[in-house]
Amino acid sequence: MKKIFAVALGVLTAIGGFVDIGDLVTNAVVGARFGMSLVWVVVVGVVGICLFAQMSGRVAAVSGRATFEIIRERLGPRVGGANLVASFLVTVLTLTAEIGGIALALELASSVERRLWIPFAGLAVWLVLWRVKFSVLENVAGLLGLTLVVFAVALFQLGPDWGELVDQAVHPRVVEGEGVPTYWYYAIALFGAAMTPYEVFFFSSGAREEKWTAKDIKQSRVNVVVGFPLGGLLSIAIAGCAAVVFLPRAIDVTSLSQITLPVAMAGGKLLLALVILGIVAATFGAALETALSTGYTLAQYFGWSWGKFHRPAQATRFHTAMLVAVLVGTLVLLTNVDPIAVTEYSVVFSAIALPLTYLPILVVANDREYMGEHVNGRTTNALGLVYLVIIVAASLAAIPLMIATGAGG
Amino acid sequence: MLLSDLLDAPVHDADGRALGFVVDVRLVLDGPLDGVLAAPRLHGLLVSPRTGSSFLGYERTDENSPALLARWLRHRHRGTFLVLWDDVLPPDETHTPPAPTITLRHDYRRWSPALPQH
Amino acid sequence: MSPRLRRHERPFPPDEQLPDPPQPAGLVLDARLHLLDRQLDDVEGTPVMTIDDLELETDADGLTTVVHLLSGPVLATRIFGGRPPRDRWHRVAWRHVADVGTVVRLGIRGDGLDVLWVERWLRDHVIGRIPGGRHAPE
Repeated sequence: MKKIFAVALGVLTAIGGFVDIGDLVTNAVVGARFGMSLVWVVVVGVVGICLFAQMSGRVAAVSGRATFEIIRERLGPRVGGANLVASFLVTVLTLTAEIGGIALALELASSVERRLWIPFAGLAVWLVLWRVKFSVLENVAGLLGLTLVVFAVALFQLGPDWGELVDQAVHPRVVEGEGVPTYWYYAIALFGAAMTPYEVFFFSSGAREEKWTAKDIKQSRVNVVVGFPLGGLLSIAIAGCAAVVFLPRAIDVTSLSQITLPVAMAGGKLLLALVILGIVAATFGAALETALSTGYTLAQYFGWSWGKFHRPAQATRFHTAMLVAVLVGTLVLLTNVDPIAVTEYSVVFSAIALPLTYLPILVVANDREYMGEHVNGRTTNALGLVYLVIIVAASLAAIPLMIATGAGG
Repeated sequence: MLLSDLLDAPVHDADGRALGFVVDVRLVLDGPLDGVLAAPRLHGLLVSPRTGSSFLGYERTDENSPALLARWLRHRHRGTFLVLWDDVLPPDETHTPPAPTITLRHDYRRWSPALPQH
Repeated sequence: MSPRLRRHERPFPPDEQLPDPPQPAGLVLDARLHLLDRQLDDVEGTPVMTIDDLELETDADGLTTVVHLLSGPVLATRIFGGRPPRDRWHRVAWRHVADVGTVVRLGIRGDGLDVLWVERWLRDHVIGRIPGGRHAPE
């Protein structure tokens, strides 16, 4: 019974933890502009993150080494350091977007200006990092994030033409009025939203936080392989809502209130309240994960003591790094940047930074010194190489497409 | 001497012909006992025609997967060899820093770079 | 592009089979593959540092051995070139090393080691002073 509970909890938190501000914004924007024609990218991204998270979790469980220790060890100080700078900046950017998301959602709920909520959101994130145990933090955020299921409920209530939606999804083509480069630019953004590096830093370091061993591999695989695809379905529902409401009216999504509008149209105040709760929980959870990831990456590269299983005084550089990251994110938001715009950049930069994180994990997952009998099987390796090609291609194409399309124009 | 003084240093034979670059330094734990373990003795240098990317170590281990990656990296580091430290002329101490050029004795021998299997 | 010998400059045929070297009696480690950039933990498993460089010394008999593991400013010079003054090398003596695996483990507690001065400074002046900093999370 206890075991079933643990599995259910793991799966549920994986679903709730999958969707963050990046998935919310990108899916809604893409749904409004391209309908369901980019759903295939979500599928590719979800399979990719399953593969990547599963490998990094297995490496962490068997060898006890978290992802950035592996990156430093395999790529050396120079290339590993370049990756650290890139990953750290992307993670701080994502953290900024998540804190902004919390403030935007609270603004929706309260009609109090978001700039007043920002310091409060930043402080709340830091307090939880400072005082709350890892397992509590992970589970509560994941479970509350599950209320985003209302996007799926809303999609049904909107009573869309299902045949039309499915047709858009299985016969993807570029919508009239949109350029082909723009279509591919958003394809990369969606891919980056599904495969953010911080998820892998968090997942593999979390394995250490919870002291996983080889015995826990099976459960972690179930969490990932069941939880993430269900999270992916949630992403698709968000895109679907936007596609039903905004695409026919040719309205672009540029604010959080627009993202929640289809839910309000479908289910009135109750669903709207739930969806706002879900967004606060999902962005809060992701803010914790990204803030922890800034500490994890720095500490693992430099060999500092890290982890929530220590008292702050036993991991002082780790806690200082997180404190500074949350502070920087909060201050950046107070300059009045648009959190939605920050989000749109953060997902693309995620895709750009990914290859140097992915390659070392793929190599070490095959290294018997680290993995013993738990090295990758043939299927995982075949899939791993296919994704290596996809990840490198997306990373190389991102900047030219960003310039060509004026960041999605 | 720092280990990083040796890494990536160009290697020449006694006639000044370029042989490649130091990509790694082989140590053997058979020096005088120092604490719990024996001190690592500098045993030899691994010399490759290329610097960089050798860190994945495929050319020295029998790791074979993922096959395409292993084959490609091994191919890049074809021609890697081991020379024993006894075959290296004493480094010119006035030369450091920056990294010295490593010069080998005229009768040096090249060995397979593979790590012994434990 | 990192330095390399062009194909026509390479002195030896690429696919030549080289003889196996004489087998030494002790454990064989390739420094970059097995030591450099690996995590160093203390006897209780608390991370101390990443091994940024090694210091070698040649004794009177001409035997060159590793005497110290280094961290700190040597990392910057490994990345950007140059060399920090000797008094800024943070050293951990090899004689404290108890085990070499996917992590390198010391046989002593890390608390008093020089390399951890930043960690201690932050504990005494920042983190330890914030309420709750010395208690386990709940």
